Amino acid sequence: MSSRDINRANFINTKLLGRKREPIDVRSEEDPEIENIMKTVETETIIDREEVMEACVKLLNEPLHVLDKDFAAGGLTFAFNSSMPPQMVALDASQAWIVYWIANSMMMIDPSLLTNEIKRKIVRKLFLMSKDNGPFGGGESQLPHIASTYAAINALALCDNIDNCWNKINRDAIYKWLLSLKQPDGSFTTCNPIGERDTRGVYCALSIASLLNIMSDELTEGVVEYLQQCQTYEGGFGATRLGDEAHGGYTFCATASLVIMNKLNSIDIEKLMEWCAARQCTEEMGLCGRSNKLVDGCYSFWVGGTAAMLEANDYHGCLKKEALRKYILNCCQSKTGIALRDKPGKNGDFYHTNYVLLGLSITESKFYYHGDDKTNRTPFDILSKSLSVKEVPSGLAFINPVYGIPNESLQEFHEHFI
Amino acid sequence: MFDIEDYKDVEPLPLTQDVTNEEELCRIMYCDEYKQVMALMRRMISKDELSVRALRLNSRAIELSPAFYTAWNYRFRIIEHLLKEETQLQGEGHDASYMLNKELDWLDEFTLNNPKNYQIWSYRQALLTQLYPHATFSREHPIMDLMLDDDSKNYHVWSYRKWCCAHFKTYGQEMAFTERFIKRDVYNNSAWSYRFSMLKHSDVDLDQELQFVLDKIEYVPQNISTWNYLGGLLQMMGTSDKLVEQLLQFSKKYIDESAFAYEFYARMSKLSGTANGKDVAQMYSHIADIDPIRDQWWNRKSLQADQGK
Ligand SMILES: [Zn+2]
Repeated sequence: MSSRDINRANFINTKLLGRKREPIDVRSEEDPEIENIMKTVETETIIDREEVMEACVKLLNEPLHVLDKDFAAGGLTFAFNSSMPPQMVALDASQAWIVYWIANSMMMIDPSLLTNEIKRKIVRKLFLMSKDNGPFGGGESQLPHIASTYAAINALALCDNIDNCWNKINRDAIYKWLLSLKQPDGSFTTCNPIGERDTRGVYCALSIASLLNIMSDELTEGVVEYLQQCQTYEGGFGATRLGDEAHGGYTFCATASLVIMNKLNSIDIEKLMEWCAARQCTEEMGLCGRSNKLVDGCYSFWVGGTAAMLEANDYHGCLKKEALRKYILNCCQSKTGIALRDKPGKNGDFYHTNYVLLGLSITESKFYYHGDDKTNRTPFDILSKSLSVKEVPSGLAFINPVYGIPNESLQEFHEHFI
Repeated sequence: MFDIEDYKDVEPLPLTQDVTNEEELCRIMYCDEYKQVMALMRRMISKDELSVRALRLNSRAIELSPAFYTAWNYRFRIIEHLLKEETQLQGEGHDASYMLNKELDWLDEFTLNNPKNYQIWSYRQALLTQLYPHATFSREHPIMDLMLDDDSKNYHVWSYRKWCCAHFKTYGQEMAFTERFIKRDVYNNSAWSYRFSMLKHSDVDLDQELQFVLDKIEYVPQNISTWNYLGGLLQMMGTSDKLVEQLLQFSKKYIDESAFAYEFYARMSKLSGTANGKDVAQMYSHIADIDPIRDQWWNRKSLQADQGK
């Protein structure tokens, strides 16, 4: 290709692709150059993206923002010291999640925010959500749920075994219950009898079991085969093996599950990398969760965490961390209310605060395995160190991409159950 | 209709936070009705009351808290029980479909008012698999159509539709169905993914399918959905010399306006042997220039090509 061609392609890529255009079906005869350039058809996808892109580009043109830790910490501390407004009733069945999101965000920003008093309150609240100290439901008197149990165990891991709370966890009951959720096809249902059977259930089950050291062949039987069937022609993973669309959340769940079982090699890794790389949006710089969908801060973890696990396994280069970091810092910080958000124009919330912070930590870290023994690797051998970044580092805790919690808490929790 | 007077004999079962004065972490300030309805439902669950009035209370609870999965599970048990009762009353062989249709009607209306909720879909699946052997696929069409009309990329609806096809073993209309969405928005990746998963169940001629996606690429060359689909299709069809040559010439037409086309062209060049490792490596280096956000990825591909991988 001549340099003229490169310049032209460059011009098209940076200036024109994705711009709003009227549908052009008739080829213009006067100017074939323009005719080609005009080939972005205005559809819902393009109109929606155009709007987001405009808002992002405006913020991205500003100098790199700094993470406003004080503001974020203030909101999180406030949340743990006051009642939640009535509209939070929408999360009535996700109370273990709320606790995990807030506590984890605090731990990443500054572990001293999570005082012993708060830890005791967390422990008290979580055990109210369970009849027999595990498994856990979404709130008091609710049925046990695999996602609630996942969130509760993660939250307990942050509590430093205060008042010996880790010994209270009923591992036997959790193990038996996990087995009861196992499906013949290798997946797990989230709840009995009505629940979703998909890769999310698999990840929650394996995360819980590996943390509590209750993994068994019976639990993992058929799981690898199930996950293999969930990888799609695009390279990412869908919810089920029927061929659902590749999606950031499910791709994370599948990849983390494989890493827990040390079976990453059983899937098409190159395709997975290609899919992850394709999630980064050129103009917005952040990540989207599916092809032709909008950028969203939470995929900084779902897709960013997938890329981090790949990186630890020596599969480098599917993410431009510096660019993602810029999206997070310039576009995901909200000046009012809860600190971090999905994208400009949205309000912040606890879910996005947690996953955007996890993503930010990933963009400032390098991931690798401790030790050279590839056959006996466990997810607890994944370590990270600082990556040199532009301007001020955010100074968040190092996190483990498989479990989404700070590495220090993870190691302590894990060692407790060996 | 739901009337709180019907539950006068039920003693509300309070939460711990209602009886102790302790300041519980992240305590939600429930409104009075919510508190009341949930406390009644908790008691009825604990007594395992599976009655018509329990169903009415349950409907109210679900309206107030659509994501409350415990209520959905309770609802399933109630319906299951009422159905058994009805069958016993009417004698074996009695068709209780009308009851289930009534339940599906309720669910349809609820779904329209709560398009983002996803408990509805697993609840629906459980009804159809465990309680309703006479269900039909056509009964499921209108609600899915309405939902996709509202959000053409609703993950749960596409997934549910796929599940329905497998459940009812009916795949006849699916290719035409996706075409409707692709016509409306050629970038709709949910429609493309769905179409791909249906290929193996349809009698569509793969050459014809190839032409279909090539036409859509010609219509808009810079579209990741169509190029990915083409890649998937190629893997399915096998890389015969003729096909590779055709796609080499095809992708070449668009390399100036689409990084996806360029990448495909590089792949075809390698497959066809028209370019050696060095040439292909150079192509990937070029893509790194025109698609700088992924330059590390393209440089990796370039290095691999250079090393003959
Ligand atoms: Zn999000």
